[in-house]
Amino acid sequence: MGLLTIIKKVKQKEREMRILMVGLDNAGKTTIVKRLNGEDITTISPTLGFNIKTTTYKGYKLNIWDIGGQKTLRPYWRNYYEKTDALIWVVDSADLARLEDCKAELHSLLQEERLFSATLLIFANKQDIASALSVAELEKVLDIGSITKRRCRVVACSAVDGTGLREGFDFVVSDVSSRIYLFS
Amino acid sequence: MPPAPVTPEAVLAYTKPTSGWMCPLNANSYGIEFLKFEIKDYDTNRVVYQVAREPDPEPLPEPLDPEVENMIRSVKYTFPASFLKFKTVRTLLEFCVGPKPAPNLRMIERHFFKDKLVRTYDFEFGFCIPNSTNSWEAIYDVPEYTTAQINDYVSHPYAHKSDSFYFVDNKLIMHNKAEYQYARD
Repeated sequence: MGLLTIIKKVKQKEREMRILMVGLDNAGKTTIVKRLNGEDITTISPTLGFNIKTTTYKGYKLNIWDIGGQKTLRPYWRNYYEKTDALIWVVDSADLARLEDCKAELHSLLQEERLFSATLLIFANKQDIASALSVAELEKVLDIGSITKRRCRVVACSAVDGTGLREGFDFVVSDVSSRIYLFS
Repeated sequence: MPPAPVTPEAVLAYTKPTSGWMCPLNANSYGIEFLKFEIKDYDTNRVVYQVAREPDPEPLPEPLDPEVENMIRSVKYTFPASFLKFKTVRTLLEFCVGPKPAPNLRMIERHFFKDKLVRTYDFEFGFCIPNSTNSWEAIYDVPEYTTAQINDYVSHPYAHKSDSFYFVDNKLIMHNKAEYQYARD
């Protein structure tokens, strides 16, 4: 039995993915994860550390690391990059005043070598708010066009009414699985 | 000769519940405190167990009376027997961390029934931010028990025991125990 076969077996048994979810504070990261599992989203307070969620999705075991986005917490993000299969960047599409800040944090994150091979999903959250920017507008403001050399998709969503969440996670799971579970 | 340090590999090799404590209470120099623990049936959202507390305002006195220490470090659960029939369980753990960063936090929990290993949970939280409050929610499928097994668990209260070990950078900082009994609904 060759090494590849062994690796394949281990991966097949576990079928685990590590997903890192970051973005500015109040972008809706925790709400997205809760909404995905149909949980109550009426009493969510700012995340002052991490919320890990271990769940199964389409036969895969997902470990979602949702890390607080407050300014004082951002320097700690780098402690969570290791072994990340997918990166989900959450944007408050209606927080126009902080889009420059959001763009700067996102592009500095993408310089991180340990995240080079991770699938990138950008959730354009809060589409239920009338003043929210569309995906096309956000792509322009956040300069998504300059992101090359990696798989990346921007998905419009609303954690409040649930639209777009499945589409986003479907992309993440199928993209990561096509890359890692090549033989399964 | 000082005793060998208790490593993750060592506790993963234990074949029965521990007697005594594998580290002193003050090994927890990171100020890690559990604030909330909840167990639910995922399919019905029924709460089976729930406990919440505020962080301790001041450290515990030392030396601690052994009886008090046992009370702090061990818990006895009474679950409904139907718990053994749940298909999917959701657990939620909330904890806070003191002013020092806690690198590489890892939990290993060993479950025994009648002194035989029945299950192991091994989870790496990784880095914990200083002064943070964190949570871990796990939704997992429970293996199916046969009627004979369920009867066995119900008729042997507290024969199901667990040891929970918490490591920071492979050093044991917390050790807690639990015992379980199952009551007919």
